[in-house]
Amino acid sequence: MEEPENSSKINRRKFLSTGVRASVLIGIGGVAALVAKKAITGQTVWQLDPAKCIQCGRCATNCVLTPSAVKCVHVYAMCGYCDLCGGYFKPETKTLTTAAENQLCPTNAIKRKFIEDPFFEYTIDEPLCIGCGKCVKGCGSFGNGSLQLQVRHNICVNCNQCSIARNCPADAFSRVPLSQPYLLKQIAEEKKSPQSP
Amino acid sequence: MNKRLLVLLLMIISSIQFLNVYGVQRFPKPEFESGYMQPETLVPAARAGMLALMDVLVLVAALALVSWLVLKKRSRNLVFLVSVFSLAYFGFYRHGCICSIGALQNVTLAIFDNAYVIPLTAIAFFILPLIFTLFFGRTFCAGVCPFGAIQDLVSFKPLNPGTRLNTVLGLIPYIYLGLAVLYAATGTDFIICRYDPFVGIFRFDASFGMFIFAGTLLISGIFIARPYCRFLCPYGVLLNWISRFSWKHLTITPSVCIQCRLCEDSCPYDAIDMPVTDKNPENRSTTIRKLILICVLVPFFTMLGGYALSRLHETLAGVNGQVRLAKTLLGPLSIEQSESFEITAFKSSGKPVSQVYSEASQVLRQFYIGSWILGCFLGLVFGITLASRMITKYRSDYIPNKGTCFSCTRCVDYCPVKSDTVKSFSP
Amino acid sequence: MTKVTQSTLHGSNHEKRHILTLQNIAMISALFAMILCVLIVVNFVQIKRADPLNTLVMKAMIERMHANPGDEQLRQEIREIDLLARKAFFTNQWQVRMGGYLLFFSLLVVVICVKTIELMQKSLPIVPTDVKTDFWASRRINRTWVAYTGISIIILSMGIVFLTHQELGKNLDLASKATNPESNSSNPKEESKNASIPEGRNAEMEVNKTTDTIRKPDTTGSSGKVILDGYPSPDEVARNFPSFRGPGGNGIANQKNIPTSWDGKTGKNILWKTEIPLTGYNSPIIWNDRVFLTGANETKREVYCIDLHTGKILWQKPVEKITGSPAQEPKIIKETGFSAPSMTTDGRRVYAIFANGDLIALDFDGNQIWAKNLGMPQNHYGHSSSLIMYRDLLIIQYDQRGSGSVMALAGKTGETVWQTSRSVKVSWASPVLIHTGKRMELILAADPMVASYNPSDGKELWRMNCISGEVGPSVAYADGVVYAVNDFSKLSAIEIGESPKLLWEDSDYLSDIPSPLATGKYLFLVTSYGAAVCYDAKTGTKYWEHEFETPTYASLMLAEGRIYLLDKKGVMHILKADQAYSVISTSPLGEGSSCTPAFANGKIVIRGDNNLFCIGK
Repeated sequence: MEEPENSSKINRRKFLSTGVRASVLIGIGGVAALVAKKAITGQTVWQLDPAKCIQCGRCATNCVLTPSAVKCVHVYAMCGYCDLCGGYFKPETKTLTTAAENQLCPTNAIKRKFIEDPFFEYTIDEPLCIGCGKCVKGCGSFGNGSLQLQVRHNICVNCNQCSIARNCPADAFSRVPLSQPYLLKQIAEEKKSPQSP
Repeated sequence: MNKRLLVLLLMIISSIQFLNVYGVQRFPKPEFESGYMQPETLVPAARAGMLALMDVLVLVAALALVSWLVLKKRSRNLVFLVSVFSLAYFGFYRHGCICSIGALQNVTLAIFDNAYVIPLTAIAFFILPLIFTLFFGRTFCAGVCPFGAIQDLVSFKPLNPGTRLNTVLGLIPYIYLGLAVLYAATGTDFIICRYDPFVGIFRFDASFGMFIFAGTLLISGIFIARPYCRFLCPYGVLLNWISRFSWKHLTITPSVCIQCRLCEDSCPYDAIDMPVTDKNPENRSTTIRKLILICVLVPFFTMLGGYALSRLHETLAGVNGQVRLAKTLLGPLSIEQSESFEITAFKSSGKPVSQVYSEASQVLRQFYIGSWILGCFLGLVFGITLASRMITKYRSDYIPNKGTCFSCTRCVDYCPVKSDTVKSFSP
Repeated sequence: MTKVTQSTLHGSNHEKRHILTLQNIAMISALFAMILCVLIVVNFVQIKRADPLNTLVMKAMIERMHANPGDEQLRQEIREIDLLARKAFFTNQWQVRMGGYLLFFSLLVVVICVKTIELMQKSLPIVPTDVKTDFWASRRINRTWVAYTGISIIILSMGIVFLTHQELGKNLDLASKATNPESNSSNPKEESKNASIPEGRNAEMEVNKTTDTIRKPDTTGSSGKVILDGYPSPDEVARNFPSFRGPGGNGIANQKNIPTSWDGKTGKNILWKTEIPLTGYNSPIIWNDRVFLTGANETKREVYCIDLHTGKILWQKPVEKITGSPAQEPKIIKETGFSAPSMTTDGRRVYAIFANGDLIALDFDGNQIWAKNLGMPQNHYGHSSSLIMYRDLLIIQYDQRGSGSVMALAGKTGETVWQTSRSVKVSWASPVLIHTGKRMELILAADPMVASYNPSDGKELWRMNCISGEVGPSVAYADGVVYAVNDFSKLSAIEIGESPKLLWEDSDYLSDIPSPLATGKYLFLVTSYGAAVCYDAKTGTKYWEHEFETPTYASLMLAEGRIYLLDKKGVMHILKADQAYSVISTSPLGEGSSCTPAFANGKIVIRGDNNLFCIGK
């Protein structure tokens, strides 16, 4: 007498739970379909737009990595090879030597090399660079703006939410397609790298 | 050369107003006579995109393997080994990014923000564990999630903090989930990623505060097993809900429970439902009256929560960058404020103030609606938690709670019933 | 595992020894990890307390160094400290990193040891001896706890609301309405704040701030809409682009974030492009988010209002049925057209004049406020002097054959407030309003003189006979010096004052259409055949000269320290306003142009031969 009643109860429960399971599955599928429309198959990476950057120095302090994955990058094609380099020397420097008291870079990451009178080549020693952007500010204010901050993708761990982007006052960080991971600003006539979507 | 110097000096003076002039060719590129070759600007590439596919494949493989180990092999040691592998791969090798917990926010933002493009891997990381949970229980937590794995590794002396603390602390994930969804939906921030305690350990790098947080969690994790999973994880809320309807789920005994009580203390997560055989000491009619009262009160709780949180929406929105900027612009600017990077950047953007205000007030409206929904949700959660503590199903066996069980298979080792022995006894 | 359990139960000495060793290893590792932790924290606190890369000592020493550069000892000291600081920084980073790795590995050892011990010591599960907890009682307690938690959360959130609530939403809505350019009312608080944003280089239109007095609201007959009277504050004028060659008509724009590169063909940085129905060589003017310009042919004259953000023509108003408008068409040449004078605005109304002398005032919605005809201009090329606003006075330079004059009409009604006749020949130049530091002056150029008038009553302040011929370029002014130029005449720099004197003159580069641009340090000039030159503003020394291949009709504009030179083919040459010739960029519009560009924050509006372009970033 009790046996069939129990089994019918179990059957009913089974049916109910199958129904709920199916509807949950449909729900998950629905969400997936909804967002899949906006999905891209490729990957994206974080990059900062030098045109928006105001060199506040937060790239050096806000990155989850120390030293930061943002480094100063030298676009040689834009460089004027100046003797008095606004990115290399402190503003009121009088003698143009590589002496410590003249250098703007706090970690000595910019190397100055004599090429020919009156031109000097500047290279960035990236392992030393902390991404503070002091040189970038100097070069942008007084020179051609050939020194630019960029996220170095060999270092960047590509966080889901970049912690520099969260604190960037100029909103210069965005995700860019993996195929064009740099937003270096070239000379005005040259083609600009495509913006992020 | 002297002329160059003079020009520079003049520029220093004149450029004070034009600090943000960028990318201008002030000095033409020199023509070198010494045959100097201009070096290339190096642009090191990022991790290849194809490897993201591998992450998804590893995820599926690990999920499938753990599900099989939990349900068929019922082997704690093997599950543990897979969890160590997951910790090594998703944690230390992939630096804990992207993880399923964080992907929740990407999916939310993608739903609410039409301009946001979401990588397919993020969707896969969000969806796959949910689907596996729907079929096999929370096997993701057992051996795939690196967060779970690292906490499992250190749970040396698990103590039970008591059901009442479990219940109360167990409500935190709902609040965390709600806030995470609210902030992600408004495009404010990904708070799960921001306050992710273990990602710093995976990277060997984090802020001091986050290390302290991670250290606290791990040290308390020696005595309270998996504190993050139980009392914080917002993704766990979803897994909890879905797991309740799972098709198959881990059972303590492979066959029939013999009421030996051996497994009673086996679960460090307090996720075993004990048999309920005692009669409710309360009068049946009293219980029913109370239950009806609570059920009537649930809509009230919901509305109360919604109202309370909606009052709070301005405080909640204070985190949003646009709102913060508008707020700063609104009040009289102190000197520090007007020289702050945010204001400097705003001024150089040439954006009209009115636009900032109207955008901020739009964000504020979103937060108003959002915090109403969040408050209602939390009120509902509290109400249902109360109500569910009224309803009891009498049962005679020890069974894992399908919602809170992490399918870690610890309890299995405690069960003296083996499937083959039972088989030989069964008629 | 069963095996291990059994052996443990047997309790072999061997096993026990193993466990003891493991316990010791775990202990030592844990101790080591603890010490490491302390070291790392100490290290961290040290670096937090004094960042070696930004020490105050260093800063002070560098400053002392600048004060006396000869101090060798100080120099040596700086170098030593700098080296120490860098060493400290990198050593610290290395220490933290190595410490982190060591900590990780020692903790790993602890974990492995403990797990192994766990595995070896696996004991059989035991039946709990304690009495089962009372299920129902614990349920009840659970419920109370949940209820209390919920209540305390609500109380907490209410407390936060009480402490932090500030009606932000309401304030924002109010502020957004007050600052919204579309609403006519303005919030005085916002006004002053906005004003601080553009550092007006020539915003010295007027020093006193007693403007924008909102007079009694007036209703217009046509729409019944309340319009505010009065006139814009100098800051408001400086923020906008209310007339030909910008505020005051002096060729200097105060807008920021101006684009420097675009391409009309590829559409790069072109925000929108709108075809203008009727042609005209007048230049666009901008007030808030509206662009105004006119177009005309032999029979039709029209005023256009265009949305700055979208490029949509918001309204176009045909100018017709004006009392006194002559029936015959004016005599013009193709290069001038029927609508060469640019419009002007005072933020309340816009004003337009056409080659036949038709003058119209419209409100911002395109409703006619007043209109009149000034009489057919006796001008053999076509009237082209642009309008300009001084406070609420509409100033018109009307130098015609036989009857030169300058007049001011009340912007609100069109009534003549003052009119001064001038004994000059026909002029195509436009009036320029300057603030000399003491007063406002209205400077006009026409054969034979450059003359200055008081803009409030039309009294002549000074004059200098230094220009001749058919004067096309308007004057430029900076730093107390007025520069006037004309083809087949000469370029004169006039130091103004009670008795103006000629500072210098030159006749190598003379323009007959585009107006020069003065920055205080330099004077820039482009001739109609496309030669650009930079003079020292005070001495007339030529710093650089450059021949562009194409003729140029548009006047030079200065924005953000850059010169915008638009040639007749529509190619914009952006130069650094500097002693050295340096091209910042060259951007083609893809269409010819003879009009001077107008500027808004982040945008340039250029009128091509057929289309109006808006360029942005």
